[in-house]
Amino acid sequence: MANIDAKEYSTKPSTTKSRLSWLWSEYSVIIAFIVIFIASAILNPRFMDLNNQLNILMQVSIIGIIAMGMTVVMLSGGIDLSVGSVLALAGVISVLALNASGSILVGIFTALLVGSFAGFLNGLMVAKGRIASFIATLGMMAGARSIALYIADGGSVSGEVAGFTAISNSDLWIFDVPVIIFLAMTAAVFVIMHKTRFGRYVYALGSNEKAALLSAIRVDRIKIGVYTLIGSLVGIAAVIETSRLNSISSSSSGAQYELDAIAAVIIGGTRMTGGRGKIIGTLFGVLILGILNNMMNLMNVSPYLQGFVKGLIIIIAVVFQKRE
Amino acid sequence: MTDNPFMTMKNIDKSFNGVPVLRNVSLKVEKGEIHALLGENGAGKSTLMNILGGVHLPDNGSVYIDGEQVRMLNPRISQEQGVSFIHQELNVVADLKVYENMFLGSELRNKAGFLKVEEMCRETHDVMATLGVDINPKEYVRNLDTSYKQLIEIAKALLRKSRLIIMDEPTTSLAEHEVNRLFELMRSLKQSGVSIIYISHKLKEIKAVCDSYTVLRDGELVGTGSMEKENPETITKLMVGKAISQERYVHDNPFGPVIMEVKNLTSEGLFNDINFTLKKGEILGFTGLAGDGRTELFESLFGYRKKYSGEVRINGELVKIDHPRKALKAGVGFVPKNRKENAIIKDLSVIHNMSLSSMGNFESSGFLRDNLEKERFQYYKDALNIKVHDPQITIDKLSGGNQQKVVIAKWLEANTEILIFDNPTQGIDVGAKQEIYQEIVTLSEQGKAVIVLSSEAPEIIKICHSINVMYQGEITARFDGKSANEEEIMQYATGSKREAEKIG
Ligand SMILES: Nc1ncnc2c1ncn2[C@@H]1O[C@H](COP(=O)(O)OP(=O)(O)OP(=O)(O)O)[C@@H](O)[C@H]1O
Ligand SMILES: [Mg+2]
Repeated sequence: MANIDAKEYSTKPSTTKSRLSWLWSEYSVIIAFIVIFIASAILNPRFMDLNNQLNILMQVSIIGIIAMGMTVVMLSGGIDLSVGSVLALAGVISVLALNASGSILVGIFTALLVGSFAGFLNGLMVAKGRIASFIATLGMMAGARSIALYIADGGSVSGEVAGFTAISNSDLWIFDVPVIIFLAMTAAVFVIMHKTRFGRYVYALGSNEKAALLSAIRVDRIKIGVYTLIGSLVGIAAVIETSRLNSISSSSSGAQYELDAIAAVIIGGTRMTGGRGKIIGTLFGVLILGILNNMMNLMNVSPYLQGFVKGLIIIIAVVFQKRE
Repeated sequence: MTDNPFMTMKNIDKSFNGVPVLRNVSLKVEKGEIHALLGENGAGKSTLMNILGGVHLPDNGSVYIDGEQVRMLNPRISQEQGVSFIHQELNVVADLKVYENMFLGSELRNKAGFLKVEEMCRETHDVMATLGVDINPKEYVRNLDTSYKQLIEIAKALLRKSRLIIMDEPTTSLAEHEVNRLFELMRSLKQSGVSIIYISHKLKEIKAVCDSYTVLRDGELVGTGSMEKENPETITKLMVGKAISQERYVHDNPFGPVIMEVKNLTSEGLFNDINFTLKKGEILGFTGLAGDGRTELFESLFGYRKKYSGEVRINGELVKIDHPRKALKAGVGFVPKNRKENAIIKDLSVIHNMSLSSMGNFESSGFLRDNLEKERFQYYKDALNIKVHDPQITIDKLSGGNQQKVVIAKWLEANTEILIFDNPTQGIDVGAKQEIYQEIVTLSEQGKAVIVLSSEAPEIIKICHSINVMYQGEITARFDGKSANEEEIMQYATGSKREAEKIG
C-alpha cells in the first residue's frame, strides 16, 4: 500500500475560494462578531467608549454564565428550559439562608446547592426516567417557579446582610466582579469540555448515543452530570443576580433567561441535535447578543421592538448554519 | 467494448481540502452489464460513485449518460437520469416502518393527498419477496437485524425504475443465501438491460456475478477489462499489487486456563441455553445465518442487553454484566457490527474515536494529553495501515474500510483480556483483511482470549481454533478449526442437520 506522506499535502485548503469557505465554516461567529462590532462603532460613536464596552460585558455576564452550561447541555443532545425559574428559586432560598445565618458564604453555598440539586433532578428525569429533556425541564420550569412564588409569597425577598451586595457591585482593576466570574466560568467550561474525559463523553453522547454506550461510556451518569453542571452554573448566576440589587423577585427574576441563553448557544454555532459546537462560539454568541442590546438602547429603539430584532438575528444565524 | 457505452465518466479529478483523492479517472459501463469497481480501502471507489450520484461535484471531468453530457449537481438530477445508489453505509431511518423507509421522499398519495398505505405495503412486500425476504412492511426498522436493514436499502433501489444501479458494498452484512438471491436478481436485471456498478471486497462474489472490472489504486486508474480472463488471484494482484495467501492463519498455540465460562444463557426469543468455555489464547468462532442470535448473545454478554438468564463466570468468578462499562471492567471488549450505527462517533476526530474506550490511558492528573493520543494513533496507523492524511478530521471523512480499522484500533487500545469481534472485516479490503487476521492471531498468541462472529464460514475457518455454529438461537454444532469445512458448516447453519447429542 503506497502510503502518501502526510506532509506532502497541507490540510489547509489550497484555493482562495475553498480557503474562504473553510474560514467561514470554522469561524463564522467570530467573523459575524467582528462585522457587528465594526458596524456598531461606525453607527454610534458612543459605542466605543470604554465604559460602554465594560457595561456590555457586565450586562451579559449572567446570561453568559448560563449559556456556558446550556452549551454543554445542547452538545449532549438535550435542552434545559428551567434555568430562569431555577435561578429565581435558588435566589429566593439563598437570600432566606443568608438572612437566617448572617453568613455570605452560607448564602452562596445555598444557591449553588439549590441550583445543582434542581439540575440533578432534571438529569435523573432525562437519564433514568427516559423523559425527553424538553418535557422534563419544562416541568422543572413550572415547578421551580411555583415553589419560588410560594416561598416568597409572590413577592421579592431582600438581603439583610451587609457586604452581600459587594459581590456584584465591586470591581477588580477595571472589570466588574461578575464579568470576571463569567470569564472564569467560560475558561472552566472550556477546559472541562476539551481537556477532560467528561467533555469528550458529552460530545460522543450527543453525536451517537448508541455508539457511546457500546464504547463502554456510562451514558446515564454523563447526562446527570451535564444537567447538574448547568444547575450549579445557574446557582452562581443566581448569586450575582441577587447581589446586584440585594433582592430577588420570585415572579420576574430570571424570566426568559432560557431564551437568551439558548439564542446565544445557537448563534454560537452549536448544533441543536448535539455533538457539534464550541464553547468559544457561545462566548461570541453571548457578546453578539450583548452588543445588539446595547446598540438598540444607544439608538433609542423602542424596547418593544428589541425582541423582534433579537428573533431575526437568531433565525438568520440558523439559516447561515444550514448552508454548510 | 462498444463505442457508445451507456455511462461514461471521463478524466475525473477530485480533491478534498487540497488532498487529491481521484486523479484523471475514467470509467465506462455498458448497457446491461455488471461492472466491478475494485480497489483497496481509500482508493476512491465511493468518492467516484458519489460524483456519479451527485453527492460530490468533481473538480474536473465530465459524466455522460447515453452519450449526452450530464452535470450531476445533486442527487436528484442523478436519480432523474435513472441512477440509483445503494450507499456503503446504511441510511435507513430506525424510527420509521419498513414501508415508510422504502417510500421515503416519494410516498404514494391518492388524489386527496392522503398516503396510500396499503398499496405501499403491498409493493414493499412484493419487492422484498423478489429478494426472498419475508418481513412485515409495518415493522419498525429499529427492531430488525442489520442484514434486513441492508436488504431494505437494496429493495429501495429496486423500487425505482433505474437504468443504472450503484451498489457500494451491498453484501457486508448479508448471509450467503441472501447474497445468492441478490445475485439472481442482479442477473435478471441485467437481462432486462439495467447496468450495475458493483463494489465489493469479496472476490468470490465479484468473480461470480461481474462481467467486467475497473481497478483503482490510490485514486488512479490501474486497469480495466473483462472478467472472463481473470481469476481471484489475478484480481487480488490487481487490487493490492501482490498475491494473498489462502492458508489458515491460526496455529496451535498452547491455551491457558479457562477465562470465561457461560452456562445456560437464555434470552426469550433471541437465544436459548447457550454453554461454552473460552480459554486464554483461544480464538473461538461463532457463525450462522441471519436470525441465529449470535449478535444478540454477545451483546448480552457485553451488557448492552440486560434481559437474560444464566451464569457467566470470568476467571472463575460469577459476574453480572448489565452495562458495557461493567463488561470493560471485567475485561471484556466488543467490536460491534454495523459501525455507522454502533461504533462511529461521526462528529469526533479520528484520533478521538480511537481513544474513546480507554481515556484513562491518555490522562495525567485528570486532564487529557493530546500528544499521548497522537502518538498512540500513529502506532495504530502504522500497525493497521490506516489511510488518513490528517487524523484531526472527523471520522466520517474516512473511507469505510479505514473507519472500520479505527474501530478495531479503539478496542485494541482498551486492551481487554477477552475481545469479541462481530463481523470485524466489514468493508475491509483483501490486503488489509490479512492484517486484521494477523492482529487477531497475535492477540491470541499474547494470551488474550478472542471470540469472532462472522457469517462468512471461510473467514471463521481461517482464524479460529474451534467453531460454533448457531441456528435460531441455539448452538447446533461445534467443529475443530482444522477439520471444519464450509459445506458441513452450512448444513448446520441452515438447520438441515443437527448434532445428535445436545450441545450448547
Ligand atoms: N468528505 C471527505 N473529506 C475529506 N476526505 C475524504 C472525504 N471523503 C473521502 N475522503 C478521502 O478520500 C479517500 C477515498 O475515499 P473513498 O471513500 O472513496 O474510498 P473507497 O475506495 O470507497 O474505500 P473503502 O473500500 O474503504 O470504502 C480516502 O482517503 C478518504 O479519506
Ligand atoms: Mg467506500
